[in-house]
Amino acid sequence: MAAQLALQDVSLQFGGIKVLREVSFTVEPGSIFGLVGPNGAGKTSLFNCISGHYTPTSGTVRIDGNEVQGARPATLARHGLARTFQHPALQLHATVLENVLLGAHTRLPGGALEWSVRTPRTRRAEKELRAEALELLERNELGWAAHLPADELSHGLHKGVELCRALLMKPQLLLLDEPAAGLPHAEVEHLIATVRRLRAEDDITVVIVEHHMGLIAALTDHVVVLDNGAKLMEGTAAEAQSDPRVIEAYIGKDGADDAA
Amino acid sequence: MASSSKTSGPAASASTSSAPSSSALSFKQRPWVRWGAPLLLLVGLAVLPLVMTESTNDTLARIGVFAVAVLGLNVVMGYTGQVSLGQIFFLGLGAYVTAYGVSQEWNIVLVFALTCLIPAVAGLVVALAAARLGGLAIAMVTVALPIVGVPLAKRLSDYTGGSQGLSARFVEAPEGSGLYDDQWQLYIVLVVGGIVFLLTSLLVRGKYGRAFAIVKGNENVASSMGISPYRYKVLAFTIASLIGGVSGFLYMVVVQYTSPETMSFGHSIELLVAMVIGGAGSIVGSILGGAFYVVVPDITNAIDPSLTALLQGALLLAVLFVLPGGLVSLPRAVMRGLRRSTAGRGSAAPPTTPSPTAGSGSATENPETERQGHV
Repeated sequence: MAAQLALQDVSLQFGGIKVLREVSFTVEPGSIFGLVGPNGAGKTSLFNCISGHYTPTSGTVRIDGNEVQGARPATLARHGLARTFQHPALQLHATVLENVLLGAHTRLPGGALEWSVRTPRTRRAEKELRAEALELLERNELGWAAHLPADELSHGLHKGVELCRALLMKPQLLLLDEPAAGLPHAEVEHLIATVRRLRAEDDITVVIVEHHMGLIAALTDHVVVLDNGAKLMEGTAAEAQSDPRVIEAYIGKDGADDAA
Repeated sequence: MASSSKTSGPAASASTSSAPSSSALSFKQRPWVRWGAPLLLLVGLAVLPLVMTESTNDTLARIGVFAVAVLGLNVVMGYTGQVSLGQIFFLGLGAYVTAYGVSQEWNIVLVFALTCLIPAVAGLVVALAAARLGGLAIAMVTVALPIVGVPLAKRLSDYTGGSQGLSARFVEAPEGSGLYDDQWQLYIVLVVGGIVFLLTSLLVRGKYGRAFAIVKGNENVASSMGISPYRYKVLAFTIASLIGGVSGFLYMVVVQYTSPETMSFGHSIELLVAMVIGGAGSIVGSILGGAFYVVVPDITNAIDPSLTALLQGALLLAVLFVLPGGLVSLPRAVMRGLRRSTAGRGSAAPPTTPSPTAGSGSATENPETERQGHV
């Protein structure tokens, strides 16, 4: 069940620094939404406000109509929000499969006592989710790496593993923080195909923070451009790319004049 | 390098098994190893107390006691990454609860239940406050436990016997069993300790093991997976306290005497050192840690008691520099060293061995041989 995400006048302030200024937008269920803007525009801060890692100074964040600003990240995760990080943080000495299985945490039943005696219920659930994790890795062409320690994989593959970990949570809302950062061209193509397949096969809303305009143009239904903490414009990726204000924000006033 | 270690892999596995066809299954996965090894261990442990001398049995029993205490410390520190300097307090608390219960002639099952429950509740209360603080603050709060515990035990002399301490003789070999007391005590330590080790080793794998590990590794990732770092720190600390309480019960089974000195801060640090030397975040390392805790003072006391701290310190430094993973990583380190030396000799020969395997192929096969070394 894909979730709707709505932000209303979200502001964030650290001491005297205004990181976000009254940002509002709505992400429709089942859509792929892009959050773009130059470095330091506040994209990741906005992301952290949605995922619960930051609490907005003012404004509301609603998921399916419920106000969630101020809720703890772990609570939001249990209610169907998953995210990836700009720098994928995997357990490097654990296997890829164990890393992905971490995403199954909220789906595994039973308390500490049950898991220390391994009741049949916990054994069954662990077995099922292990199979599901392997299938997920297989689908993302990472099945061969399942039993390798994560530190033997490249940065690009770490991002893939992290995505699998988030997907095993069966999220209704998936936040991808710069999924293409540091990836070579071929792997960006692969990522685009993966997210497209996600949309086709799973009922899920995806929000992507990204610099890579090619990826944004290829994937998103709708984008919001942030500049200096405020919403600069909203529309399709093509509209954003041709908007003179966006070009100016990205390459400066002079560059915009040259381009015009 | 990659190709030479690759060639050494199959050679090594072929030499361990006469039938090359079965080398697809790693040594640990073969059915007779999977079932035979634990069975052998069980039979060995059952026979052990019968054939050893009284003093050996006593040493083994004390190793068991402190292995359980180190295991508890490992749950909160080795697996969950929260520095605890107060584990000895829970051992002491468990010992006092046991001694008091026995002196009041309560049923031994009730005494054992209280020995689990009271330290667990104490640990829970401390953790609820301390885990909010995070970082070094948890360590600071736990330092306070033994420091407060010792004078408290002296003050509450109605219950603790004050500085005199309490003794309780309640473990005697049943009539007609033909066992001596030391054998019976060791059996109790083996059974109770064995159950604690079994349950804990199951817990630190699977759902809770992964959750503890990610709380240690990255709290932001943990919380985005639906794992509240606070709750899991509290849980780990409570379990550690409970296990500490059980070790206190076993302490009374073996030592039969407790005083405020039992939970002194110095002993808490020694437990920590024992955990690091045995191997943080390791079940087997906990046993090695318990052995270190007991055996080193036994040896130095025979020569010169003032050597104990010196030797412990020297061993700690040696382990930290040479074997950061603790004694438990010794076999792996030796294997790696051996492989490196054979690989070095291999590359000294003219490079005719490199086989024209695809890059991805060698990348996947190489770790396979690596893992064979690990198991």
